Amino acid sequence: MQHQGGWIQKLLRSSSGHGGTLLGLVMAVGLLSLPALAFGADATPAAPVEYRDVPYVGSRNIIWVVAQLHLLLAGFVLGVPIFAWLCEVVAWKTGEKRYDKLAKEFTKLLTSAYATTALFGGILLFLLISFYPKLMNYLTDIFFPSFIVYCILFLVETATLYLYWYGWDAMQDGGKKTFHIFLGFLLNFFAFFIMVVPNSWATFQSSPVVLAEGSDMARAWAATWNPTWWPVNIHRLIANVVLGGYICGAYAGIRYLSATNTEERDHYDWMGYVGNFIGVFGLLALPFAGYWLMREIYQYNQQMGITLMGGFLSWLFILQAMLIGVLFLGSNYYFWLGITYRIPGSEIKYRKPMLAMLIALLLCLGVWMTPHSLVASMEEARKMGGSHHPLLGVFGVMSAKMTVANLMILVTFMSFIMYWRAGKQETAGWAKVAKAIMGAILASAAIAVIILGVWGYFVPAIIRINYFSTSQVLVVLGVMLTITPLTALLLRSAKTTTEMVWGKMPPRAGYSLVLNAVMVVLLMTLMGYARSSSRVHWHVYGVVRDTSPYAFSPALGYAAALMSLNTFFFCMLVAFIFWVATMGDKAKAPGGASKVELPQGMPAMAGASSALDEPKAH
Amino acid sequence: MSEVVKLQLIGLSVVGIGILILLFIRASFVRVIGFVAIVLGLFTLVALSVPQMASLPPVEEKFDIATVKTPTDMATIGQKIFFSKGQCALCHTIGPSESARCPDLKGIGAKLSREFLFESLTQPQAYIYLDYRHEGVAKEYPARMPYINKNPIGLSRNEILSVIAFLQQMSGEPISVTVTELDAPGQAPAAPAKAAQSGPVAVAQAH
Repeated sequence: MQHQGGWIQKLLRSSSGHGGTLLGLVMAVGLLSLPALAFGADATPAAPVEYRDVPYVGSRNIIWVVAQLHLLLAGFVLGVPIFAWLCEVVAWKTGEKRYDKLAKEFTKLLTSAYATTALFGGILLFLLISFYPKLMNYLTDIFFPSFIVYCILFLVETATLYLYWYGWDAMQDGGKKTFHIFLGFLLNFFAFFIMVVPNSWATFQSSPVVLAEGSDMARAWAATWNPTWWPVNIHRLIANVVLGGYICGAYAGIRYLSATNTEERDHYDWMGYVGNFIGVFGLLALPFAGYWLMREIYQYNQQMGITLMGGFLSWLFILQAMLIGVLFLGSNYYFWLGITYRIPGSEIKYRKPMLAMLIALLLCLGVWMTPHSLVASMEEARKMGGSHHPLLGVFGVMSAKMTVANLMILVTFMSFIMYWRAGKQETAGWAKVAKAIMGAILASAAIAVIILGVWGYFVPAIIRINYFSTSQVLVVLGVMLTITPLTALLLRSAKTTTEMVWGKMPPRAGYSLVLNAVMVVLLMTLMGYARSSSRVHWHVYGVVRDTSPYAFSPALGYAAALMSLNTFFFCMLVAFIFWVATMGDKAKAPGGASKVELPQGMPAMAGASSALDEPKAH
Repeated sequence: MSEVVKLQLIGLSVVGIGILILLFIRASFVRVIGFVAIVLGLFTLVALSVPQMASLPPVEEKFDIATVKTPTDMATIGQKIFFSKGQCALCHTIGPSESARCPDLKGIGAKLSREFLFESLTQPQAYIYLDYRHEGVAKEYPARMPYINKNPIGLSRNEILSVIAFLQQMSGEPISVTVTELDAPGQAPAAPAKAAQSGPVAVAQAH
């Protein structure tokens, strides 16, 4: 790795015991020296500058951190309005005020979150112009019409946000509420296009379409409508819903862990439930969008697809499988905890299915994480007869992975339905038939997915990719689209046998919500690295070559360390935004929220806050 | 101590700090930070345990015509290009392999003429049959093989001829490409390499 330039790596090689301290010091010095670098560059009248670097830290590392934080914050500020608006619509339709309160609580975050996101966007822009002037010049030349559109979108989005937030209390009744809901819709509508426009700049770098002739508008439009633009748009839209849901869940989890009275415990337990529900709702659809994106990448350029899935990034997808697997396990675990603790009596009824689902998920995860080629010594490889294990090698290929990914989605969907139906008794005359039909649909779908997966080994790749894999996806989607409305219809006339009890979840439920949010953020950082690395040594694939000393993609370990750092920074930023936004509420509360006695005899639970361990009496 | 070991030590330290926080600190928020530190530390450690491969830019083979005396010299350069800048080995294998994604090139230099090889590399669309399964004009199936003389691979004519020399040599054929066919520095390339560079949509052209 002689090119693994950048001072961080050199520091790691040369230092032994004080890496962290030195790293921090040098990063601070590097950042402080930025203005001097810019002035220094101005003084050279020679050929136009292509790159500027920051000594010791490396310009690429700075861009990596700032761009990642900006993107994560952007995902957050685009995900939260979707989440808040959905909650507001539920409150409007059902009359349940707590959903409205939840929506308002999250919309309150938006003003400070928008400012922070814009701040990082501004920093990123200045850094890009400073460090990559040639590339930015090229991109500006192509995309300047969309820069104007982007600015206009920001103006209308900001105005809509102000109206939406400051008009919340004033627009609570009748037609005003309807107008407020419409404002929420507009907020998300503009936000969607705020995401879509810069997506075109990023996707253009991976799959460029460059017109050699034509007007500025024609060139900009051709570049915008590149092959991976819409797959990324849809993938990011769904991912933002997932991020919004899980961040809400994590916030609720943390507040639940530190709750000091039953009212808070009830509220944040319920908030965690809503966050996890919306997160899972998006998560179930996300792999399909990801599959579409990969398909488009392969169709655009097979080499890029191979670099991603079979080349030096292939191990990245094992890490991705691990993160997604943990996310699925975490989400299901939270559902199962909900069934056990919130719906008394359901625990015994659902214990066996939950155990079966856990085993199924673990088996699927094991298959998904099986690498195509094993890391083996020469002797081991000789014994195996190659780099593929004679038995496990079968699981390392795409056919097996597509099958288990679809099965995991099916299992999670079953958890979701099970949770939905727990504590309710269907009264409709056709309930028995409907349940039998749903069971049959689920079982046949699972069998169909497995048959297609096994069959996929015996057909050419093109048949498998074009027909079998898409059929598997359609089967699972079909299950969701038939069973969800059927269950909703069935439960409309059902009677509740056991009321849901809030605030009884053990502390590990709070930690599982935090874990899910961290997994989603890590996944976003991981796939950002994949997208960027798939361009290999090109700024714009096949068009503008990266000739800087950073024209290489670092190895996964080094990249993962940076991803973890970015995830940690992002978590701290979000915590800060939540803290700032709720500071006023705490000050307003007269002597804090009313203390309500916790149930007597409640056992002290591992990992609980002292408040939970020591129930207070008035 | 290698870079990986140092990063592993940092990862272990982060996990250790997280465990200490969970063991000794009662404040909920700090405990959550400890928990997140453990998760992130473990993730980094797992990522460090898989093969560490960086993607380096391809090494440019210096094509100094003065040093190329024989077709064998060309084949030697062609072999290097085959496994580096040309990226041929990303999809093709020489001999049967489980991981082969595209045709096995063993013996290809004996099966195909050099003209056909050149055309396959520079005009991969030329012999792909058309799709008539719809009304109207027949559509082209996009070739899976990229245009080797265009970006992102962008081999020069000399480099393509060298790769052909390597394919012929590797197939046990006499090398039919001669040193005199190589373009001298500053000389305009011969027609075949230019042919594929026209067209209104040029994905590979910056300005």
